[in-house]
Amino acid sequence: MQGASTGIVYGGLKYQARCIADVRADPDHTSFLAGTLSLKEENEVHLIRLSPSGNELLCEGLFYHQNEIWDLKSCPYDARILSTVYTSGETYGASVWKIPEISSQSNSPQLDQLVSLDDHTAKIKSVLWWPLGKHDKLVTIDERNIFVWSIDSSNKIAKVISQESVGMLHNLSGGAWDPHDRNAVAAICDSSLQCWDLRTMKNANAIEHAHIRDVDYNPKKQHILATAEDEFGIRLWDLRMPKIPLKDLPGHSHWTWAVRHNPEYDGLILSAGTDSTVNLWQVSVGSEDSAIDSPRDKRSRQIDPLLNSYTDYEDSIYGIAWSSQDPSVFASLSYDGRVVVESVKPYIQRK
Amino acid sequence: MAGVSSPPPMDEKAKRTRDLLASFYTNTSNSNSAAPSSPSAASNLTPRSPSSLDSINSPSFDASSYMSLLVQKSNLEGLLQKHVQMAAEIKNLDTDLQMLVYENYNKFISATDTIKRMKSNILGMETNMEQLLAKITSVQSKSDSVNTSLFEKREHIEKLHRSRNLLRKVQFIYDLPSRLNKCIKAEAYADAVRFFTGAKPIFEAYGDSSFQECKRASEEAINTVIQNLQEKLYSDSEPIEARAEAVVLLKQLNFPVDNLKTSLLEKLEDCLLKLEDESKDVSVGEISKTFRAYLIIFPDSEQRLIELAQGLFSRRYDAVRDQLKKRMLSVDLLELLGIIWEDVTTVDQVLPEAALPAYSLESTCSSIRQHISIAFSHLQHEISDAVAGSQSKSNEGRDELDLHIVLENSKKAAMQGSLDLLVELRQFFDEKLELLPKLRELITDWVQEGFQEFFQNLEKHFILLSGSSTNNCHLGESNHSGVLTQSPDKLPTGLVLVLSQLAVFIEQSVIPKITEEIAASFSGGGVRVYEYGPAFIPGEICRLFRSAGEKLLHLYINMKTRKISVVSKKRFTTPNWIKHKEPREVHMFVDILLQELEGVKIEVKQILPCGVIKRHRNSDSVGSGSTNSSRSHPNAMREDKLTRSNTQRARSQFLESHLAKLFEQKMEIFTKVEYTQESVISTVIKLCLKSLQEFVRLQTLNRSGYQQIQLDMEFLKAPLKQLVDDDDAAIDFLLKEVNNAAHERCLDPILLEAPILDKLISAKLVKNKDLSASPL
Repeated sequence: MQGASTGIVYGGLKYQARCIADVRADPDHTSFLAGTLSLKEENEVHLIRLSPSGNELLCEGLFYHQNEIWDLKSCPYDARILSTVYTSGETYGASVWKIPEISSQSNSPQLDQLVSLDDHTAKIKSVLWWPLGKHDKLVTIDERNIFVWSIDSSNKIAKVISQESVGMLHNLSGGAWDPHDRNAVAAICDSSLQCWDLRTMKNANAIEHAHIRDVDYNPKKQHILATAEDEFGIRLWDLRMPKIPLKDLPGHSHWTWAVRHNPEYDGLILSAGTDSTVNLWQVSVGSEDSAIDSPRDKRSRQIDPLLNSYTDYEDSIYGIAWSSQDPSVFASLSYDGRVVVESVKPYIQRK
Repeated sequence: MAGVSSPPPMDEKAKRTRDLLASFYTNTSNSNSAAPSSPSAASNLTPRSPSSLDSINSPSFDASSYMSLLVQKSNLEGLLQKHVQMAAEIKNLDTDLQMLVYENYNKFISATDTIKRMKSNILGMETNMEQLLAKITSVQSKSDSVNTSLFEKREHIEKLHRSRNLLRKVQFIYDLPSRLNKCIKAEAYADAVRFFTGAKPIFEAYGDSSFQECKRASEEAINTVIQNLQEKLYSDSEPIEARAEAVVLLKQLNFPVDNLKTSLLEKLEDCLLKLEDESKDVSVGEISKTFRAYLIIFPDSEQRLIELAQGLFSRRYDAVRDQLKKRMLSVDLLELLGIIWEDVTTVDQVLPEAALPAYSLESTCSSIRQHISIAFSHLQHEISDAVAGSQSKSNEGRDELDLHIVLENSKKAAMQGSLDLLVELRQFFDEKLELLPKLRELITDWVQEGFQEFFQNLEKHFILLSGSSTNNCHLGESNHSGVLTQSPDKLPTGLVLVLSQLAVFIEQSVIPKITEEIAASFSGGGVRVYEYGPAFIPGEICRLFRSAGEKLLHLYINMKTRKISVVSKKRFTTPNWIKHKEPREVHMFVDILLQELEGVKIEVKQILPCGVIKRHRNSDSVGSGSTNSSRSHPNAMREDKLTRSNTQRARSQFLESHLAKLFEQKMEIFTKVEYTQESVISTVIKLCLKSLQEFVRLQTLNRSGYQQIQLDMEFLKAPLKQLVDDDDAAIDFLLKEVNNAAHERCLDPILLEAPILDKLISAKLVKNKDLSASPL
């Protein structure tokens, strides 16, 4: 299944990079933000846009960012706002930035720092925006705590509303915000996936399972989420039945690093791994007909859930993002700084 | 009309005569009979109104209008012709009439003659009659006189006769007791009963008065009779007919026979129950005789007997089934079933209505079926015991589990077990049991089905044993896990490999062999519905086991790498790499890593075959992905580069690695795993090194941290190459990759100087040697 190099390559990132994010708030273009990870150099945030003809990736903006970027999210309701998590040596921080007006004379302007989210006492792992639109809150996760911030971007104020520690035994490494429920956040912990209720700041539900690397909610079906993990590749869960996964997908030859549901086509899942491949999966999770009907189950088992494996990469892939503007397009970012945008159209039609 | 005119002239003439006569006598006209009188005229003259012209015989016939019509319509010639024809007809009629008159007159004359003769004959009869009457009257008077004279005597005789009869009866009754006793002595019970029943009405009428004594005595006698009859009935030695007769007699004596019947049947039931306890005490032949006897003795007891017989055999089949729960050989089962079948046929001859053969066939079917399924589940247990049972042994004794022996044992269990099972089940066909040929096709199907299910279950069981089954868990397999002797996650990793190899063995050797055997002796079948095809589908099973084998192999690798990954994770996440101290020695994590890998090697060596040694080829890649993180140029780490300024260096480093990628050969890491020692070991090592690289990439290091990693990797080089015989290049490459990752993530990447490196490594080697030399 050697993927033909159909992707559009953007080679503008000069350093290693881990993070890429879809600019959801940009309704007219398929745009992505990518941040570099260079220890010694000044890092950059690239605003990449798919040309209207759809066969070229253009750099719409290049902004300097002092520190290496470990996490980057685009604000879902304002295309010019983004958040980063960064480290520099031993120091770490998270900030919300505003992309300045693009002026011709300055070709690589600085980002305007709106807010610095600097109440953290442990290494920050990620910043979460509520994925489906305007919401005045922000969640940040560091190794020990979950913070909920109230954010006012126009006044450049961010306040910690609530904060909860998960204790010394747990080591948080990331999370996802439920698009169906503004009060639910899934946080990845050493030994489990914890679902937090932001109103009470309590751990409401947990999938006891170790070594999860990434988690993503199904944007179409409530309670369904996908996890990427060492042991079993990709697993789909129904949060109402946290004991048994709905589905297993084999994942990658090495670590499965990231997993993303397609925002539009239900059951279409993208995963990226350190074996330098991006896999496209098709899984139907009818939570009702979960393997009760045996002949149908057999038939569905015969269909390979792996639609395609994109292998034309040189290094581990840590960043993938679906475009919300054109849901048949995704961008992937390999560690060597190459952004590849691919269309999954041929595989959707096959379905 | 045309039809009427066509018959021959003789007929026509007779008909006409008859018609004429008819019209003469009845005086009514009939158009149909009149019509033929002038057929030609009618057809010739007026075809349009035949009724008026034809019906010359009808009363409405108007001669003048007929005439005028004729004159009008016909020409002269026609009229002349008609005239001639009419004249002839009239003449004919005249002669006919004359004939009739003459005939009638003749008949009248002969009738007058006859009457005259009769009158003369009657005259002499009257006198004869009067004489006869006188004679009869005299005879009657004489007979009356005789009758009256004899009347007296006759009356007397009749009276005497009546009294004699009465006396005889009285005598009989007085004689009855002794007679009965005589009968008892002669065992002529039938006569006794006949006598007694004959005398019974008299006893009932006069028993209280005149014949009291007599009645008592005869009742006593008859009681003895009853007793004797009962004894006779109960004694099995008596001939059946006698017993049946006894019952009939008892019934005649108004004895409550039903009670007897129930008590006898209860006795029989007890007897049957006893038959089960000490199976050889009473033979079924006797039982069947008893059945027949009872059937004759009590014709109305059939229903009960059927119940009894069915109960007997259902109990026996239950007993067989109970025995089946323990493992038993097919021969034994067949013997048991044979015995029962014989008994069934014996009883069936007596009690065909009980439908015992059908029931027995059914029960035999289910027993055999149960036997087959139990045999298969036993086989499965044996195999899983061969795999898992050894584990408990090892827990008790040695730590080191001899995986090779386990594998051989379980292979043998799988192969030999299934072959033995086949041989055993084939005995169903060899046996000359009457009912088995009927079941042949069914058994064939069951065996095939059994194998199909057996292999499917075995595969599920393997997956379950390996502890990787996740989705399947809730698909009704909870019962399986209940059978399991130990919880799945306790299974040591080595056994996963054993299972994997066993799956391959089953796929490649056992299934073809079984398929062959089945084709040889269990072919046919096909009682099943055709749409499902044959019950045993070797292709499907092979596929199942092939995928299971691969799954288990991957699971094994996965388990191993995970274990190492946990160690590595701890190693890389615990220390603060930015404040790392100068490397003093090779980190002990390396020892753990090597120890784990050595463990893998030991396990793999025992189980997997040696692969063909081959150099790493790029074409090996099966597309599971090729990685090549910064395929660095060999010179990329030359020290002169490191002396440059930081910024320059980083940039150039990055560019350089990019450039290097263009030139250096692409290195495949994730090749397809094969069932060989080398392939598995190198896959594990490659995955581990890749993980190390990824862990390093997540850290930020200072110079010492970088140097520590450099030192560790340098130390690993030799032992790893020793572990992997054929793929030095890949190891080199991956170790370098780890170093590169460290380099990238290092704030101040300055390599350790070569002499120091050597010194530290040799120090570590010496230390290791000391450790292994000194007793623990």
